[in-house]
Amino acid sequence: MNEDLESRLRAVLRPVAPREEFTQHLIARVTADKRKETNARGIRRPKATAWWLSASMAASLLIAAGVQHYLQERRETERGLEARREVIEALRMTSQKLNLAFEAIKGQSSSPADDKPGV
Amino acid sequence: MRHYSLRIFFALMAPTLAWAAPNPRLALPEFSALAQKATESVTITLDAALLAMAGRFMNGNDPQDAATKEILKGLQGIYVRSYTFDKDAAYQQSDIDAVRNQLSAPGWNRLVETRSRKSQANVDIYIMVANNQATGLALIASEPRQFTIVNIVGAIDLDKLHKLEGQFGVPKLDIDAHKAPTPSIKK
Repeated sequence: MNEDLESRLRAVLRPVAPREEFTQHLIARVTADKRKETNARGIRRPKATAWWLSASMAASLLIAAGVQHYLQERRETERGLEARREVIEALRMTSQKLNLAFEAIKGQSSSPADDKPGV
Repeated sequence: MRHYSLRIFFALMAPTLAWAAPNPRLALPEFSALAQKATESVTITLDAALLAMAGRFMNGNDPQDAATKEILKGLQGIYVRSYTFDKDAAYQQSDIDAVRNQLSAPGWNRLVETRSRKSQANVDIYIMVANNQATGLALIASEPRQFTIVNIVGAIDLDKLHKLEGQFGVPKLDIDAHKAPTPSIKK
């Protein structure tokens, strides 16, 4: 009786080779787990950091170029407005002195003794 | 062949001829000693590039700006030196002589010379004419407490200068009636 039970148990608990599908599934799962693990350890992080760095550098360059352009435009405007102011001032002074000559000529025609224009 | 040789001759001589041509730009001294004594000094140096830049900032819709822009079109430079003093006779006529001497060079013609006893103001206006076109203007105004030198280089259109009347206070100068005997000014 005992022997019979034992042999039946042995028969039930004998080692059985796994099916092919099971092996493939297991290998795939282990590989996926390994990938997850390496990702979690940060092996891919440098790539992400590089992208972020490149993007921020490009953005900084763009901002710097924009600021530079803006400052140059502002300097040009300031110089232009200053030149305009000087032109107006120069013409105003010229006209003022022409007026002085004109007054002298006018004065001469009204009272010749007062002014002495020579033309 | 002869025509070709003449061309080469003129091409080679061009720089020399250009150098020999009268220059409407005056060499204005620094007047640094006078600038120190002056209560107010104005130094304006505007070359062709700055005049072009100033022109870009003139508003075409504004009558004053439009008139100024018209005048600027033919100009290559505007140079002004003006000094105001707080007392009479703070400067000597010899200070201006360096400029006045340049105006005795060929090409310059005195257009107007006024001596006012009332205001004690002397104004001399010179003009340089080339090919019947005014190419330069020089103005020396000496008053008891102020002297001003203006040198405008370029094709000055006196008609346009007339148009400034009432805008910068430019008087209507009767230039035809008081024209210098030698130049004939294209208007």
